[in-house]
Amino acid sequence: MKEYIKELFSGYVRIKVIGSYTELFINRCIEYNIPIWDISRVDNETILLSLYTTDIKRIRPHLKRTRCKIRINERKGFPFIFKKIVYSRGFLSGVISCILLILILSNMVWSITVNGATPEVEHKLKQVAEELGVKKGAFIFQLPSNQELQQEMTESLKEITWVGVKRSGSTYHFEVVQKQLPEKQPALNARHIVADKKAIITKIYVEEGQVQVKENDYVKPGQLLISGFIGKEEKSELVPARGEVYGKTWYITNVSIPLKSTFETNTGERETKYAVGFFGFHLPIWGFSKPEFPRYETIISETNLRFLKWEIPLSFQTKALLETKEVTREYTEKEALQAASQVSREDIISKTSEKAEIKEEKILHHEVENGKVNVKIHYEIIEEIGKDIPIIQGD
Amino acid sequence: MAKWKHNLKSWLTRRLELPADAVMDLPRITMVGQLHIYIENHQGVLKFSNEEVRLLLKNGQLVIKGEDFMLKTILPEEILLEGKIEHVSYLDKPQN
Repeated sequence: MKEYIKELFSGYVRIKVIGSYTELFINRCIEYNIPIWDISRVDNETILLSLYTTDIKRIRPHLKRTRCKIRINERKGFPFIFKKIVYSRGFLSGVISCILLILILSNMVWSITVNGATPEVEHKLKQVAEELGVKKGAFIFQLPSNQELQQEMTESLKEITWVGVKRSGSTYHFEVVQKQLPEKQPALNARHIVADKKAIITKIYVEEGQVQVKENDYVKPGQLLISGFIGKEEKSELVPARGEVYGKTWYITNVSIPLKSTFETNTGERETKYAVGFFGFHLPIWGFSKPEFPRYETIISETNLRFLKWEIPLSFQTKALLETKEVTREYTEKEALQAASQVSREDIISKTSEKAEIKEEKILHHEVENGKVNVKIHYEIIEEIGKDIPIIQGD
Repeated sequence: MAKWKHNLKSWLTRRLELPADAVMDLPRITMVGQLHIYIENHQGVLKFSNEEVRLLLKNGQLVIKGEDFMLKTILPEEILLEGKIEHVSYLDKPQN
């Protein structure tokens, strides 16, 4: 028996050989080592036989010699099946759409995992992530970069010290370090409260300890305000002094404000262009025209496309053109003074604690010099002046 | 001369117990019931039809008769014929 595997793989044809000397044709095929098989007779002048596709050319001379003609009856074997499949439109479009589908799906967010967060924080984090666009089914190339995400999320969640954003394939991992909100612990060590800066005491509020000063007292830095010793001299006891002492303090700031300054600002007008990158070459697909505005800054963000787990040299580029405008600001002297006051107020607040209150503001003097206004401002501020110092028992 | 050679060959076959088909170019025919017939050492196809197959042999012809013949395999010296075999007979080469 013949093995049919080989025939199937190399592909063969059933042909009809028509002629008076078909036996001669068979003999010549055998003589010239052209394999033929499954020969059967149809009628007096016709036989049916199988032949390798590749041998069709080789039988031509023998056909001529024996004055036979052939008709191809059937094509069999995988090569023909394969050809048929490949050349059929449906199959081809199926393959293409399948690849496209995988391509699209490979570039989507499929899951979001959060590590190291309590359920509550995890929920909040997921909400923030969703606001930023990170949700199931979003296209990865439309999302901000990991660093941006990280920054935005860390900023917008108070409960979080740090969040690490990692993307592996179509999954986003958020590694969260949660803030350990310190529990209010009582001061364990005995301590005094002393003045931090020179001030006039305006208000004293003591929780524990012995007050050493009165309101309207002038104190110098280091002066004892609330003592950690309580009780009579013989039975004195050490406690951690607790309390708040407010005092009036003075600051002098020097600010210089240029009368005329130029700077660039964004006008808010923007144009977005999209391009597809291929091996570093970018082909714009949207937004061909030149921007309508003459001055602009460009922000480019690029994401590589992926196919399953591999990165392919195709990328998606978003180019944002933001219109900028050069603004010249000119102050009159009065305006400059106002600006100076604002700047110095901000400066003062950053130097003192949040609870500080500006009591009085006085411009000591100002002068215009080289297009700048130099201003000296005196501030009276009410702020907390207490500072803890531990009591170290010498003996 | 030829006859002398033939005699020598048949004598050798008998004496040395060599297979006759190898030494004397005789056909070796294997049949499986009426279904298959397998012929080695043929010299070509003379006639092939659904009811009759004639094969050329070294000296003479082999005539196979039956129904629904199909040449399953055909190689330079072998033939596998399928169908319903009814009749196998030898035709001697006409002596001249």
